[in-house]
Amino acid sequence: MNAIIPLVLDTLSSAALIFFAAVGLTLVFNVLRVLNVAHGSFYSIGAYVAASVCAFIVSRHLNPYLSFVALLFSAALVAVVLGPFIESTLIRWTYGKSEAVQILITFGLFLILEDLQRMIFGVQSFYEDTPMRLMGSSSIGGVVYLNYQMFLVAMAIIVVFGLRLLIKHSRLGRLVTAVVADREMAQSIGVDTNKIFILAFSLGVFLAALGGALAVPTSGVAPGLGADTMVLAFAVAAIGGLGQIEGAALAALIVALARVLAIYFVPSLDAVAPYAAMLIVLLVRPYGLFGAITTRRI
Amino acid sequence: MKFKTVLTALALVGCLGATMPAFAQEKPASLGLGIFTFTSGPAAAYGMPGKNAADLMIDQINAAGGIGGVKIAPTYVDEAQGAQGVITEYRRLAAEPKNQVMLAALSSANCLALAPIAEQLEVPTVGWNCDTHQLLQDGKSKYVFRPNGNTVPEFVAYAVYLLAKKPDVKTVAIINPDYAFGHDAAKIFKAALHALKPDVQVVAELFPKLGSPNYQTEISRLTTARPDVVFSNLWGADLENFVRQAQPRGLFTSSQVILALGETVLQRVPLPDGVIVGVLGDGWWMSPDAEANPETKKFAEAYKARFGEYPVFPSIKMANTILYVKAAYEGAMKKNGGKWPSRAEIAEAMKGSAVTTLTGKMQTRPDGDGVVDQIVGVTVKSPTQSFPVIGDMVRYKGDALMPKEGQDPIAWISTLKPEFAASLPKPGSYK
Repeated sequence: MNAIIPLVLDTLSSAALIFFAAVGLTLVFNVLRVLNVAHGSFYSIGAYVAASVCAFIVSRHLNPYLSFVALLFSAALVAVVLGPFIESTLIRWTYGKSEAVQILITFGLFLILEDLQRMIFGVQSFYEDTPMRLMGSSSIGGVVYLNYQMFLVAMAIIVVFGLRLLIKHSRLGRLVTAVVADREMAQSIGVDTNKIFILAFSLGVFLAALGGALAVPTSGVAPGLGADTMVLAFAVAAIGGLGQIEGAALAALIVALARVLAIYFVPSLDAVAPYAAMLIVLLVRPYGLFGAITTRRI
Repeated sequence: MKFKTVLTALALVGCLGATMPAFAQEKPASLGLGIFTFTSGPAAAYGMPGKNAADLMIDQINAAGGIGGVKIAPTYVDEAQGAQGVITEYRRLAAEPKNQVMLAALSSANCLALAPIAEQLEVPTVGWNCDTHQLLQDGKSKYVFRPNGNTVPEFVAYAVYLLAKKPDVKTVAIINPDYAFGHDAAKIFKAALHALKPDVQVVAELFPKLGSPNYQTEISRLTTARPDVVFSNLWGADLENFVRQAQPRGLFTSSQVILALGETVLQRVPLPDGVIVGVLGDGWWMSPDAEANPETKKFAEAYKARFGEYPVFPSIKMANTILYVKAAYEGAMKKNGGKWPSRAEIAEAMKGSAVTTLTGKMQTRPDGDGVVDQIVGVTVKSPTQSFPVIGDMVRYKGDALMPKEGQDPIAWISTLKPEFAASLPKPGSYK
């Protein structure tokens, strides 16, 4: 039993971080039908902003518990500033275009955002671990875990259920569902699809930035984070089925389990484990675990 | 007749062309140095201190009149662009005669990629950091030099120090980056331990991807293996991440941790006392030799004033490498009667040279490899600094930890005996 506890806890805490990296990507694809290659940049920008805001709080000797608020605030700030602007200036022109065009445009955006981060934040690593230190650690099964790791798991669960509630039980969610089901029909009955697209894209940016912000206290942020996140996010989205939020959650668990098992038992397979899992799933279910050829769900 | 005139003219032009190298040996307006390092990406945490040191050292040399009256004009190349881009930049810089010497590179992989091109283009190329012992193993290089030492003495030193400090060690776990440097270090460290204490068991070997931001699962795995010792040669942002994540999870109290490149994070991360750290050479700016050298103190204070922190060992490696290049120019000019040297003359001057540096001496062997001492110690609190420093130090002679030229390094390590370790200086002997 003692041997299984670390496997379970490591899988859950890894899955939480992986889920945050992927859920925004899958949401944006679901609503906008856009493969957003720049998604990883929003993750790293969220991380940089959160690190900067938390560092400001610490440097001004403000209440350290404000750093938790700062994590959420940073993600919201990134979403409000970048979401509507990028959707209306760039992403909007890709609707209905081929996936190759979408990928080229969003890849260009990714390169621009990566360079902008380098210009603004420099090339050094940023760390701000106040939230992690405030929460302390616990010994479970003979292994010391950060309570913050468990906090991440709780946050991931909250986001899964929060998104579910938003989509299924709110007016906005029903409008989004209508747009996803039939964009033209929704427009013809008076749904402001442009507004829905801006909101959905900004929500995707928020989720990516939140993932980056929540990762900062344990991982820090350095140039290159965006690219790594993007690759992993695509693998998770492909396993779960592009556009499937519950699929992203399950896929994050699968990828995390594959990585954890590799690290514990076959460390040389650590780097390939997530992609091996993706290959196996796609061989059996080419549209992902929750994906389907004709149906689209959110 | 006209044909003969044209032929004569062509011959003259040809002769002029042939004499161009003589013109090139006239003192140039500036001395171009191609300097390769990481200025972006996670590796910049290691590469930027090198660039900063180059900036400072070059400014100091230029302020004193340059080399032979010629000021240095560096061109920096970011190694983060990958090997193909690095090779292209190298060829572009090498094509300009003013760039007589390249300081390339930081990454062992890039050094291995550039070495054959350096030989082909006959450009003196000084690996200011590249550690891989594979670089000069064939002994045939004429233009590639690595004055800062290599992975063999660097990691044999840690095995010797560990056994002196903790002779009853039984189990070891390793976490190194997943590329040549990480795998070479693991191979050398294990070979040295097995030779010097055959009953040591390696209970876990992890090679996370270079640039990994998260090590939580690896830390759990290391903790569950319950090793006496955790050895790591993670570096740059990876090292900072690992330390920041491992420390609150108790890894530094449950095992004796060795951070081979730990000195680079002393000023940034609050490492606990007792962690075995070193500088992969002798580049510790607070070592007794460095403290006794007014030039080193001046350099360290100027570095702190300009960049906000004291130089870390990649900074010292870069500064020492520039001193090495300066000494080669001065040696070559002394030999040829004060004329500006050609690339071949500079390379000749580097071969077998012995250069006094900020922290000791760089001896270059005829095969182009460098012999430098190895400083290892443990983290201790400092009465003068706000960050931990290195205490209980030892300074191993570089040649004591290196195989002879042409000898297979791993085969040489396997011949080591416990008596060999016993004959070396003990921790705390370097004061």
